[in-house]
Amino acid sequence: MRKKMVYFIKEAFTSFKRNLVMSIAAVSTVFLTLFLVGSFTFLAFIGSKLIDAQEKKVEIEVFLSESAPSEKIQGLQNRIVTWSEVSRVRYVSKNDALKRLKSMFKDAPEILEELPGNPLSPSLQVRLKDTRKVESVALKIKKQPHVKEIINDPDKDVKYGQKYVPKLFAVTRIFRWAGIGTISLLGFASLVLIVNTIRLAIFSRRREVAIMRLVGASNWFIRWPFMLEGIFQGLIGAFLTVVILFIIKTSLFKYQIIQFFTWLGVSMDYQPLLSQFYILLLALILGGIIIGATGSAIALRRFLKV
Amino acid sequence: MNVIEVRKVTKIYEEGDKPALDAVDFYVSKGEFVFLVGPSGSGKSTFIRLLLREILPTKGEVYVAGQNIARLRPWKIPRLRRSIGCVFQDFKLLPNKTAFENVAFALEVINRPAHIIRTQVPEVLNLVGLGEKFNSYPDELSGGEQQRVSIARSFVNRPPLLLADEPTGNLDPATSQEIMSLLNRINRTGTTVVVATHDREIVNAWRKRVVALEGGKIVRDQTRGVYGYEEQELI
Repeated sequence: MRKKMVYFIKEAFTSFKRNLVMSIAAVSTVFLTLFLVGSFTFLAFIGSKLIDAQEKKVEIEVFLSESAPSEKIQGLQNRIVTWSEVSRVRYVSKNDALKRLKSMFKDAPEILEELPGNPLSPSLQVRLKDTRKVESVALKIKKQPHVKEIINDPDKDVKYGQKYVPKLFAVTRIFRWAGIGTISLLGFASLVLIVNTIRLAIFSRRREVAIMRLVGASNWFIRWPFMLEGIFQGLIGAFLTVVILFIIKTSLFKYQIIQFFTWLGVSMDYQPLLSQFYILLLALILGGIIIGATGSAIALRRFLKV
Repeated sequence: MNVIEVRKVTKIYEEGDKPALDAVDFYVSKGEFVFLVGPSGSGKSTFIRLLLREILPTKGEVYVAGQNIARLRPWKIPRLRRSIGCVFQDFKLLPNKTAFENVAFALEVINRPAHIIRTQVPEVLNLVGLGEKFNSYPDELSGGEQQRVSIARSFVNRPPLLLADEPTGNLDPATSQEIMSLLNRINRTGTTVVVATHDREIVNAWRKRVVALEGGKIVRDQTRGVYGYEEQELI
């Protein structure tokens, strides 16, 4: 069997060379469609990072009453921190709040000069692991026992951007589904196009298949070289895609796209994006191989019926 | 021993059609040389296709080398075809392979090791007189040369039976005679040869067993026969 494999690989290679026009057609179809799918998926990765970054900004601010005893505040903070939805709770004192405000308005300090003393309240800033749970966590805080001793008016003073958060999530959901939908559609179109090209190539050689069967070749004897040829075509097309995508990625990062996003106000991690990119490249190559092999097998099925 | 046994075989392609073969009884014993003659549509090609198990009989039984072809499991069909060499009017060579590779293919199919292929293929190509055109592709060869390659391929694995369907149909008379003497030489090595043809000259020249088909029936079976009278009178 292993010896035969060498023969099949040789056969596939020579047949690739001798049917060069068809081979080039198949390779370029694989290349073009996988390139479309690949670059769109890469864009979607970046887009989803942007969306994530927006969603991560959502946090809960619990404004505390000034008369709240500090041990009660401490108690509430300690309790919230243990909840599984919560990643961090920070106490911001009256003075800290003023400092923060001052640093925000450091270009126009005169605005704050008018302030009588320090009108700001101390607060707890609650950051969540999954910001989509913001509503339920806020509700849970409001329902804590003796909460009135710490918070003047729980309905008003537990804030998480009630007005815009639901809209934000609605919009991000649409973007996510649109991305997934487009990628699957593109993927499906590629599959159909590639399989069709391979089918045409094999159709033009159906006489050859018939002759091989007359000479007594078994179905697998005929199938192997064709499938290997499909694998070559898929592999070469996917390889071209990977090379081009790599060049695009390198030049994007050279122009400091990450810094560009930071400037836009979005912090993005370079490493996860990069590893996702490499997984994408691997998936494209595997996809090319699998589509090439199964495409050939499907196309051959018609001509191998006994 | 009979290499071919056809017992009361009827073949109807589509229900309601006139049968292509009609209750045909036909035996060929080992080492025979048989001409199967008859006008177009007489059932010659149906006959060849039955023996290759490209089609199955509607009624009756077909045995090739002792095997009932209707009982053959699909995965055993390639094995049957390996024991039958085939030569066709349109040569049926693989267009993307050289003469050498076309002949070698018949050996690759039966898993012959490379060193045997290297020695046997040139031997057979020399035998058919194509010693210098090993590396030519079919479209670089003349009709007669392509038919020689095709005969070399059909014969290289020494099958017990060789079927030829109009082997001289596309060739001029001189070349036809050369192809026929090649088939005759193969027959003398012990291979059973069945040639379906409507080439009167070669049939009359070789004086072998002649089986005449007409309208799906065997109308004549002669040893050392000729093509037939009616056709001669027509021309």
